[in-house]
Amino acid sequence: MSDVKISGLHKHFGAVHVLKGIDLEIPTGEFTVLVGPSGCGKSTLLRTIAGLEEVEQGEITISGQRMNDVRPRDRNIAMVFQNYALYPYLNVFENIAFGLRARKMPESEIKERVTSAAEMLGITGLLERFPRQLSGGQRQRVAIGRAIVRKAQLFLFDEPLSNLDAQLRDEMRGEIKKLHQTIDVTMIYVTHDQIEAMTLADRIVLMREGRIEQVGAPLDLYERPATHFVAGFLGSPKINFVHGEVLISGSEQVLRLVDGETISLPAIASTWPKNIILGIRPQYLGLASESRSPDDVRFSRIIDLIQPTGSRTYITVKLGGRDLVAEIESTSRGNVGDVLDLSFNRLNALFFDPATGRAL
Amino acid sequence: MAQSFASVSSAVRRSPQMPDHNFRYWIIAPSVFLLLLIGLFPLIYAFVVSFQQITMTDYDTSFAGLVNYQALFSDQRLWESILHTIVITVIALPVELILGLALAYLFLEKMYGKQIFISLIVLPTVISPIVSGATWRLLFDQRYGPINQVLSWIAGREVVMLWTIEPILVYPAILICEIWQWTPFMFLILLAALSNVDKSLTEAAELDGAGFWRIFLKIELPAIWPVMAIAILIRGVDLFRIFDMVWALTGGGPGTYTETISIYTYVQGFRQFETSYTAAIAFLIVALMSFVVTWAIRRMGLAK
Amino acid sequence: MVILGRYLLALSVLIFFVFPIYWLFAISFKTPEEIFHFPPVWYPQKIQFANYWVLFKDGDATSVWNSFILAGSSTIIAMILGTICAYSLVRFKTGGENFAVWIISQRLMPPIAIIFPIFLLYVFFGWVDSYGGLILLYTAFNLPYVIWMMRGYIEDIPIELEESALVDGCSRWAVLWKVVFPMARAGLFATAVFTFVFAWNEFIFALVLSRTEVTTYTVQVTHYFGGQSNFWAKIAAMSVLGTVPVFITVATLQRFLVRGISMGAVKG
Repeated sequence: MSDVKISGLHKHFGAVHVLKGIDLEIPTGEFTVLVGPSGCGKSTLLRTIAGLEEVEQGEITISGQRMNDVRPRDRNIAMVFQNYALYPYLNVFENIAFGLRARKMPESEIKERVTSAAEMLGITGLLERFPRQLSGGQRQRVAIGRAIVRKAQLFLFDEPLSNLDAQLRDEMRGEIKKLHQTIDVTMIYVTHDQIEAMTLADRIVLMREGRIEQVGAPLDLYERPATHFVAGFLGSPKINFVHGEVLISGSEQVLRLVDGETISLPAIASTWPKNIILGIRPQYLGLASESRSPDDVRFSRIIDLIQPTGSRTYITVKLGGRDLVAEIESTSRGNVGDVLDLSFNRLNALFFDPATGRAL
Repeated sequence: MAQSFASVSSAVRRSPQMPDHNFRYWIIAPSVFLLLLIGLFPLIYAFVVSFQQITMTDYDTSFAGLVNYQALFSDQRLWESILHTIVITVIALPVELILGLALAYLFLEKMYGKQIFISLIVLPTVISPIVSGATWRLLFDQRYGPINQVLSWIAGREVVMLWTIEPILVYPAILICEIWQWTPFMFLILLAALSNVDKSLTEAAELDGAGFWRIFLKIELPAIWPVMAIAILIRGVDLFRIFDMVWALTGGGPGTYTETISIYTYVQGFRQFETSYTAAIAFLIVALMSFVVTWAIRRMGLAK
Repeated sequence: MVILGRYLLALSVLIFFVFPIYWLFAISFKTPEEIFHFPPVWYPQKIQFANYWVLFKDGDATSVWNSFILAGSSTIIAMILGTICAYSLVRFKTGGENFAVWIISQRLMPPIAIIFPIFLLYVFFGWVDSYGGLILLYTAFNLPYVIWMMRGYIEDIPIELEESALVDGCSRWAVLWKVVFPMARAGLFATAVFTFVFAWNEFIFALVLSRTEVTTYTVQVTHYFGGQSNFWAKIAAMSVLGTVPVFITVATLQRFLVRGISMGAVKG
């Protein structure tokens, strides 16, 4: 079993500063997802853990062992690559056995391990085939099989599903999660897809421009994003942001939105900056109900766009000159151009400082 | 898991430092050593020797300054050999290019048995220039060779042309052999380059009413130019250092009439044993070549 | 009509390029009477091997074996050294672009300019007329080509295959043998064939550095030239012996022919 500790990690590619001081602890047995937009350094971080990139500055330890100068093959890790990295000149059995043969394992043990991995992944019938004869999903399974047989202390996944079509991706996502429950080793998984991150992770490490933006359980990040960026990155459809101005009239604090709507704020708002950003997720923005709670914020708007998805329907309206998406029951009726009464509970709203991006 | 952990720690102890840092240098070392030994060392050596006065009879290693380089300027046979080389190059290269291009167009479209045609036409390019020179030596024989025979049929009377002996015929003979051997090289490369030109571009131009020449100049030539430029460079360099084929066909004769720069250098070095002087010539050749090749690479936009 | 015209044109082109080779082969099977007959005889009446038999009887055919040893050994060494060097250039950018250009510029060097000092060097070490000396020279002379070509083929290998092998337990060397070589095997084969043919057909180095022991077939052919009285039968038979292996080897790599002769400028 192993935990991974990274401290003060820096990395440059030429003049580009890719990792700008990463400090991270990954506990044993957890499924950690590194997520962020492309170019945020998540793949570089993973590859540095694997030993495929050299550590420039900082330290990486696995199970308490300093890994900076340890070769990839001596780190006891297994890695699954985006393009599967199957050897076209070897059949499936030999592909899976590759790492075992490299370590000079006895033939009987190789056979046993490959067979049981193939069973686990449902590819027993494919062992004699060559990679070119396999579908994308099958290749992905072989790549995972090659990692499983190693019985490594640490599994690394580098965007393993991004070459698959949407349906297969959903299916394989489920299988990877099941795999983690079955073999129970530490897994680090890189993706740019926030849905993969949310569904797979025990912990999400959200990165941006070479730095870690926030670390935490998926729902913590979703409900309590540390920054404006995190709130915007997680969740689909995206969170709505509205700019506003904090006004203090007597003991009451209100937020006046760009187009004049006002929202009363909690008392602590007195310490906030004058201009702030309000974030409200579409799921918390719905049709105004009859029973009015004191925390409700109501307003009426003309419907710009209606997007039914079957289970829910997304309505777009304008607020403060920006599009605002509300998620409503698909049974609700309405047409573009109708005026709709919308409301949200201000306790569900998030507030950010536009200058720093920090949550308030 | 505990067990695998143990195996890791032992591996770590065995190799505490990553031993891969110098791998990249280890694997180029043998090649670099050989290239320096065979490529660079001789040049340095020749450079040193070219400032001495070593001949077959006199091993004089004292510093002689630029004597050998001064001698280059008054050596008429040297400049003639350079001229011969240039004549062969400037005639053969365009002819091979144009013929190769024409052949490429001939075989560009679908055609029954095309692959067999191509495979056979390419044969001259892979045989040794010594063999091709020897072959044409037999073909050009004034009495027993088939060329004069065919010419006699055409002329309707007996034709006796001394191809490898008469000054006026010997250059055509060399050029025919050279063009015969290397046109297929141009043909093969240009055919591949033309086949790779995006069909939708030429088809769109045709729909717009562009003719053959317009399509060739505006679409196909720019598309195949990078490949064509490299083919010209390879052939140009080969022509400038031509030795084998001429050696086999004419031996540089009659007299010194077809002596190329390579043949002249060989004669100076290995027949006359003018050691120091040959070294100076070798240096002149390398300087000329470097100049022309660098210019060509820049000019043709290959530097990237 | 257009199609017929194209075929006639193609056929005459074919005759121009193939007839000289035919003539060479034909002479090698002719009797002396047929060779020196006026007007020329267009094909031998009877296929007979006397011209070849003489070469084997006199031991001249050994020169083909010499060519084989020299070309074969130098090809194997150049392929191994050149491929690992190319790997370093591609994967580690060793020496950068300038180093790569220096290597290919070695290929463009005129042999005549370096052969003279090399000859003096070889005389000094006593390497003239030895297998080792010529193998060394051919190896070095073909290295730039091998490095240049293999650079292209290695660039085509997805780097993840190597990284995966590194993670899975391979050393850097094992990655070369178990991943890079098998992945590039088609390119290795094609490059090796070309390297072999270059060394096989080489003349100047062999002319200068061989005396009697390691005479190659190209040098042997020129031994039969004699002013007005050429040894026609021997020239033809020896040329054919040297040419047939080339035709056979080149025929095996149709797919890589263009890439090989264009030094990678055209990728098949």
